[in-house]
Amino acid sequence: MLTLTNVQIMYDRAIEAVRDVSLTVDGGRIVALLGSNGAGKSTLLKAISNVLYPEEGEVLHGEIALDGRNLLTMSADAIVASGIVQVPEGRRLFPLMTVEENLTMGGFLKSRGDVSADLDRVYAMFPRLKERRNSTAGYLSGGEQQMAAIGRALLARPKLLMLDEPSLGLAPQIIDQIFETIVALNRDEEMSILLVEQNASLALQIAHYGYIVENGRVVLDGPAERIAGNEDVKEFYLGFSEAGARKNYREVKHYKRRKRWLS
Amino acid sequence: MDLFLNLVASGLVIGSIYGIIAIAFAVIFKTTGVLNFAQGEVMMLVAYVSWSLGTELSLSFPVLVIVSIGVAALIGIIVERLFIRPMIGQPIFAIVMVTIGLAVMLRSLIVIFWGADAEPFNAAIEGGLVEIGPVVLFTEQLFAIILFFAIMTAVFLFFRFTRIGIAMRATAMDETAALLMGVDVRRISALAWAIAAVVSGLAGITFAIMFSRAPDLWFQGLRAFPATILGGLDSPLGSGFGGLIIGVIGDLSEGYIGQGLKEISGFIVIIIVLMVRPYGLFGEKELERV
Repeated sequence: MLTLTNVQIMYDRAIEAVRDVSLTVDGGRIVALLGSNGAGKSTLLKAISNVLYPEEGEVLHGEIALDGRNLLTMSADAIVASGIVQVPEGRRLFPLMTVEENLTMGGFLKSRGDVSADLDRVYAMFPRLKERRNSTAGYLSGGEQQMAAIGRALLARPKLLMLDEPSLGLAPQIIDQIFETIVALNRDEEMSILLVEQNASLALQIAHYGYIVENGRVVLDGPAERIAGNEDVKEFYLGFSEAGARKNYREVKHYKRRKRWLS
Repeated sequence: MDLFLNLVASGLVIGSIYGIIAIAFAVIFKTTGVLNFAQGEVMMLVAYVSWSLGTELSLSFPVLVIVSIGVAALIGIIVERLFIRPMIGQPIFAIVMVTIGLAVMLRSLIVIFWGADAEPFNAAIEGGLVEIGPVVLFTEQLFAIILFFAIMTAVFLFFRFTRIGIAMRATAMDETAALLMGVDVRRISALAWAIAAVVSGLAGITFAIMFSRAPDLWFQGLRAFPATILGGLDSPLGSGFGGLIIGVIGDLSEGYIGQGLKEISGFIVIIIVLMVRPYGLFGEKELERV
């Protein structure tokens, strides 16, 4: 449903953040976008939502389309209305508003009836949020904030939900809960998910398909199991090293493989 | 005691005017981060247009108010579209400079159009005196106070309960996040300017009725400025109360201490208050969670 074709993104017309990226998110799938810091993952999500311009970012080449509709010419609110909703990196709740006001903002484009029905749905999904509905969002714990951020996005009734590092800075238990929610949304509501993560092993466990981005380019893509089985991915992303036998050569080998990986 | 009460009452009257203008400052600052130095001039323009409508068409006062609200909203939207929209993405300081230029321009345009003479604003409320205990007020003075509280209530309800009002607060806190919720941020900016023009315009009309429609009306905008700083630039309601405080302190100091203090007492108050609370009495301190 979502396709990016040869997308190039520059900041300030000087810094190339994304170079020639093509990717596809098919309907009803979970697609993981993996890569280290500064690889261009968040930039891609911002480009899809068309919110690059406040940071002087610009898509110079390529196409971004949803079911054939060109997203590059659509404004951010029209993109939300078309069903692409993002949970931004670092949650970005409105800190001085209550949890419920935050959630309500997610339904800004929806009718009053939809909003109150969806509020109940989100509260059922995250009972913790119901308890804290009148608390100031800025004072919530990290996990609660992430739940609120996801809940807020759900009020926009997304067809494609994009999550930017939902596991960032959270306790393992909370991460499990968040990821179970993502799986449930995909399974029960057939919501398509584009999941940006640094935690590759976690993301590959739930994803159907994965892309690995480095220095603004896709270096590897394929079904999640195949990516998880790739030797290089194992070493660079999943933390399995070939420690032991050939210790002396390891540094050299690592360097060479890293080089091949990037070229 | 009678002197005290009458000074407080007249302070509340002028304080209401300051307060309403201060709300206008705060609405624009809160949603767009711009300090609109032309707010007093926008207010004056609305009052002049309203005066012309009142004299030419001899509308009744309620009708005149409703028409003026429409005119003011239109003026706000046009000003935002012509002068502020093209500046989006430029440094805030540059935008503030544009508002200063706009202020000078509007002042001159008004003199060119309407001349430099003061005229009484006659399309007024039924004149007369109202006695409340020992306090004696003109009807239009009482109207200023009522208008102040009506606008305060409306602003509170708007930002607290309406969807677009909540969206304006959200945009103020995090513009990109608001964009991601589907808020059209440019429309929010236009709306803020429209609200500010309406609110300050009503203050301008009331002030012109109390005194006269004169080309120095814009100066009230400058007088209301300490009120906004005192109440908190990002707090419309706080700014409103700041206006009352500045108004009352101004009249009391003039009445008890001496002539001329009215002009500077407000600034003395804000200097002292800002030393203790740099973000104003009701301003929002940056929220930090550890």
